[in-house]
Amino acid sequence: MAIQGQGWARLMHYSKRAANKRPADKPVTLLAPAGNLEAAAQAFDAGADAVYAGLKGWSRGGSRGELDRDQLRNCIALADRLGKQVQLALNIIPASRVRKRLLEELGELAKWGIQAVIVNDLGVLREIRQGLPELPITVSIGCGALSVDDLSFYQDLGASAVVLPGYLEPREVAAIKAKSSIKVEVMLHMVEEFTQLGKCWMPSYYHFAAGERIQPAPRLAGSVKRGGVGTCFRICQQPWQLVRDGLEVDNRVLPSRQISRLAELGEFLEAGVDVIKIQGRSLSADMVGAITGRYRSALNAWQRGGAAECMPAVLPSMWTVQGR
Amino acid sequence: MQTFELNTTISNLRSLRETDLSPYDAVYLGNIYCRSFQENFLERLDDLSEGIARVKERGLRAYVTTYAAPRNDALPKVQKALETAASAGADGIEVHNLGVLRMLHERFPGLPVHIGGFANVYTDAGAAVLKDYGAVRFTPNYEISLDEVKAIADSVSLPAEILLHGKMPLGVSDSCFLLEYESKWADKCPAVCQKDLFLRQEDWAMRSVGKGVLSGKDVCLLEHLPALLAGGYRMFRIEAAYETPAYRFNIARVYRAALERAVLGDGIVDELAWHTVRQHTAVGLCNGFYFGRTGSEYVGSQGAAAEVSWLSTR
Repeated sequence: MAIQGQGWARLMHYSKRAANKRPADKPVTLLAPAGNLEAAAQAFDAGADAVYAGLKGWSRGGSRGELDRDQLRNCIALADRLGKQVQLALNIIPASRVRKRLLEELGELAKWGIQAVIVNDLGVLREIRQGLPELPITVSIGCGALSVDDLSFYQDLGASAVVLPGYLEPREVAAIKAKSSIKVEVMLHMVEEFTQLGKCWMPSYYHFAAGERIQPAPRLAGSVKRGGVGTCFRICQQPWQLVRDGLEVDNRVLPSRQISRLAELGEFLEAGVDVIKIQGRSLSADMVGAITGRYRSALNAWQRGGAAECMPAVLPSMWTVQGR
Repeated sequence: MQTFELNTTISNLRSLRETDLSPYDAVYLGNIYCRSFQENFLERLDDLSEGIARVKERGLRAYVTTYAAPRNDALPKVQKALETAASAGADGIEVHNLGVLRMLHERFPGLPVHIGGFANVYTDAGAAVLKDYGAVRFTPNYEISLDEVKAIADSVSLPAEILLHGKMPLGVSDSCFLLEYESKWADKCPAVCQKDLFLRQEDWAMRSVGKGVLSGKDVCLLEHLPALLAGGYRMFRIEAAYETPAYRFNIARVYRAALERAVLGDGIVDELAWHTVRQHTAVGLCNGFYFGRTGSEYVGSQGAAAEVSWLSTR
């Protein structure tokens, strides 16, 4: 896998090669995060086709990076004016007692013009599909889909798109795409933590529900997976002693890395990726704009089938989402 | 009068041969974290056939577990493992991954499906979907409380399997950081993850198994068995995929005796039982999330006794 740090020459190679293999008119969506209205504006300005935003209380990660209802409405209005789109992250796992209310509210939001809703639970997925059959549903990266059969499962359940992690290889994505008729999104710019997204409850093993006392929300009590406010305190990025047979043998953090597969964009597009997704609703507006701009430039260059201009494959190290 | 099932997890044939299974009613065969785990049943299908036969010869139920997070390259082997399980007469398949669930549902509809803890059953709505795919029991996500588990089970009419004792899974990874130590240690993959490895930060500890992270403390519900039985739970797991045969046997023997007494209305746990439990924990005891608390806390009479100074045990 090539991650941040791989070369410009490779990017040029793949840009030219890929353009000959994928229909030029096959649309590709560049999807950027919008933790606030300014980030949405900068993302659109930098070339995003769509942004994804969370509504307060509805999205994983808590209030950081969420919009209130007025802000969401303004975001949708901004997108409408620009001919762009907004996806809504409903990626908490709501308790049974509040799920019905959320689904009713979602019906109202769908009328506002959200393009799709991003979900993190198969039960919610099925109930939205039954209640709002016209609303496209994207399966969040937190659902842990990795394979052809995972995509088939969610396709059967009525999903319109599935988000895959950026650490998959283009050949894996191509195999998935070959057997799937729904959209494939790949989060090409993301942090890969040691444990897989959606399959980690290390933080709540040590601190459970702390965030819920700070800001009650329609979430199940405080876990990261369920969307608890502030419950991920980066336990994996804290220093740990590795102890073997009772003896300390190392001091370390669990491995994580910034993934930015700009240099392999052509390979992913050739594999049939429908949506290029950038992680980071907690990023500043400036950073969202800058990162989105890099991907837009790379995408445009690939679509032209020619040389990219001023498009180094190496992102500055500060352009990460470690602080998301 | 058999009114409950006590089961465990065993990753390979060698460990199965070395384990006294007499306290158990059923065994899950296979290691869910890593394809490279030493002699993993899920990769050695002749061993899987033999393992299923050995378990059934003892009059126990033989279940086969499956990978928690398989990528495309693992799927052909998963399918072969399911074929082997079906032909060898496995009594059920544990599924953590929804793609594998679909494969099972479509190609092996006769095999009973047990939903595993990494399938993330948090709500009744999710469990209802899984039931439609053939699930006959579910292990809830470890983060939810017994009250929530019961609400789901009752709502969907799907029985829950409860982690009764052992190290609780906390996460699964796509990579193994223990490989970094191959150049420094004499142990290499696939043996290194079976060593006694913990991640420690002051009084916190987690067990590292390479591509997975487990709780450092052992979940222990020994003194809560009457409440579990009263709540309608009947299927219980001793999680011991990375434990020794002695752990697997001694802990299960304690629980089997306690469960049999609890069924008859006697919920008292004798001191010898507690002594055995404490002997087989490195870091201490907890209840997981079953009482709606932080997963590493212990609720019950043992309290401070559950806190074992793990350095002092070595």
